[in-house]
Amino acid sequence: MGGYNLDRLNFLVVDDNKHMRALVKTILHALGAKNVLEAADGADAFKELRHYPADIIICDWNMSPLDGLDFVRLVRTGKDSPNPFAAIIMLTGHTEMHRVIEARDAGVHEFLAKPISAKALYSRIRSIVEKPRPFVRTATYFGPDRRRKQTDFKGKERRKSDGDRSPDGAEGGGLSQAEIEALLNG
Amino acid sequence: MQDKACEFITPPDTLHKKVSYSATGVDAAMLEKAEQVIAGLRGSYLEWVVEDIDKLQALYDRARSEPGQRQELVKDLFCVAHDIKGQGGSFGYGLMTSIGYHLCQLLESVDELDDAGIDAIGLHLDAMRLVINQGMEGSGGTAGANMVDGLQAVVGKLTQR
Repeated sequence: MGGYNLDRLNFLVVDDNKHMRALVKTILHALGAKNVLEAADGADAFKELRHYPADIIICDWNMSPLDGLDFVRLVRTGKDSPNPFAAIIMLTGHTEMHRVIEARDAGVHEFLAKPISAKALYSRIRSIVEKPRPFVRTATYFGPDRRRKQTDFKGKERRKSDGDRSPDGAEGGGLSQAEIEALLNG
Repeated sequence: MQDKACEFITPPDTLHKKVSYSATGVDAAMLEKAEQVIAGLRGSYLEWVVEDIDKLQALYDRARSEPGQRQELVKDLFCVAHDIKGQGGSFGYGLMTSIGYHLCQLLESVDELDDAGIDAIGLHLDAMRLVINQGMEGSGGTAGANMVDGLQAVVGKLTQR
């Protein structure tokens, strides 16, 4: 029995809510991560990226002055972006279909619906590790290939179960985590 | 040859260099332990959700007493409701997520926050306080389902006017 070691990864957690940042940080530490930096909004996070080589960015959508979506666009296509290839997980309570599509089209790797659980967060990290995607540059888009085709991961298939369900209380109206995955993988 | 209109780029393979697979990695036991760590934060959650409810109450009081400010206050009300919605379920209070969801729906849908809308916000606030004061964890059983059905009916009525 084993799993992926996250201790050498650099995580950047971007959320304007300090409690949410604390929750994500606590989960990451519990999963063995050692390097977790926090930022309170997109502008702060972009500044941090200049000296912190984040491997995985976990960012909220609702923030000001620079919200999560603008931050993702800045990381991907900003002329002075220090890390346009960083893996990004959008963490948000906005789970309506058009929002998921909007986040995907801004260049996020994964989308995680709040409220979150350790299993759901790890599942998204695992997906980034196991399913690396080429980046695509078109006239209107720069980011991971939105078709999500399996590319060059040659490791042994170790996934066991989905483990993706949000904690109880994930309410209708928006999409469930499983529906989001189906939409993004379609 | 690659179409210039669509260029494929292989990003630096930093993740695979840094992530190894071993017996000490994240397995089911570590995930379970992480879930228990979150459960251990439940006491802290109950403190900060009360702060959020108080924030919501203060905004609601202002919106009730200052009708001219209501449109501006909607955004602030939404932000707090959205936080409550996004956190409850992580700490075993799925009912808070459900109530927050319906409040967000109300605040997103109404063009103008009239007295009926203000009353509806008050109902959501009362429901949140009840859930926390009574320690109604999970979906809150039959009482919780009735509460959510009632709020859903109120929001439905107001948003379909």
